[in-house]
Amino acid sequence: MPDGLGAPAAGPADGSTSSGPGRVLVALYGTFALAAGARAAVQLATQFDEAPLAYLLSAFSAVVYLVATIGLARGGRSGRRTAVVACLVELAGVLVVGTLSLADRQAFPDATVWSGFGQGYGFIPLVLPVLGLLWLRQLSELDRDAATGDPAPPA
Amino acid sequence: MSPLLVVAATVAAVIVVVLGLLSTVLRRRTGLAHLVAAGVLQAVLLVQFVLVVVALVGGERPPETATFLAYLVSVVLVPVAGVLWSRSEPTRWAGTVLAVAGAVVGVMVWRLLQLWEATGA
Repeated sequence: MPDGLGAPAAGPADGSTSSGPGRVLVALYGTFALAAGARAAVQLATQFDEAPLAYLLSAFSAVVYLVATIGLARGGRSGRRTAVVACLVELAGVLVVGTLSLADRQAFPDATVWSGFGQGYGFIPLVLPVLGLLWLRQLSELDRDAATGDPAPPA
Repeated sequence: MSPLLVVAATVAAVIVVVLGLLSTVLRRRTGLAHLVAAGVLQAVLLVQFVLVVVALVGGERPPETATFLAYLVSVVLVPVAGVLWSRSEPTRWAGTVLAVAGAVVGVMVWRLLQLWEATGA
C-alpha cells in the first residue's frame, strides 16, 4: 500500500446508523454498555448490601447503553426510534443522577457511571446522548430531504 | 505488572489515537501506519498479559480479582476489535473508530495497574 495513512475515504455515509459517524457512536455505546454492565454485575454479585441504589442504577444504565447500542447498530426505522428513546432516557438519567449525586452525597456512597454528570468517565456519559440525538436527527433530516427530492446538504 | 509496560502501552495507544484522528481529518480510511501502530500496541499488551498470568500462577492475587481478570482479558481484545471494525468502514470515520479503541486501551491499562497495585495495600 503506497499510502500509509490509508486510501481516500468514500463519501458521506448513506442513511445507515451503523456506518460513518454512527459507527463511532456504536463503538462508544458498546464500550459503555460493556463497562457499565461488567461493573454492575460485579457490584451486584459481591457487595449489593453496601449501596443498593447506586448498584441498581449502574445496572439500569448498562441496560440503557445496551439498548442504544443495539438500536444504532440495527438501524432502520424501529432501530432509530429505539435509539432515540434510549438516548433520551440516558440524558435524563445523567442529568437527574448527576444533580442528585452532588446534592445528596449520602444517597450515592459509591459512584455510578452517571454520578457527578459522568465525571469519573471523562464526562463522556453526558456528551454521548447529545451526540447520539444530534446524529439521529441529522439522519432523519437526510431522509426527509431524500423523500422530497432535495439534494442532501454536504455532510 | 510492570509500570514501564503500562507507559509503553499508553504511548502506543496515544499514537493509535493520533493516527486514527489524523486520517479522519485528512478524509482517509485507515492504512498501513494504523496497522503497524495497533500491532505494536497489541504486542505490548500481550507481553503484559503473559507477565501478569505468570504472576497470577505464581500466587499473586489483586484484591478485586474478578474485576481485574475482566479488564485483563478485555484489554487484549480491544485493539483487534478496533482494527477489524475500522478496516470494514469505508468512510473517513474509520480512523475515529480506531482512535476510540486506542483511547479505551489507554484508560484500561491504567485502571488495570491501579487494581494490581492495590495488592500491596
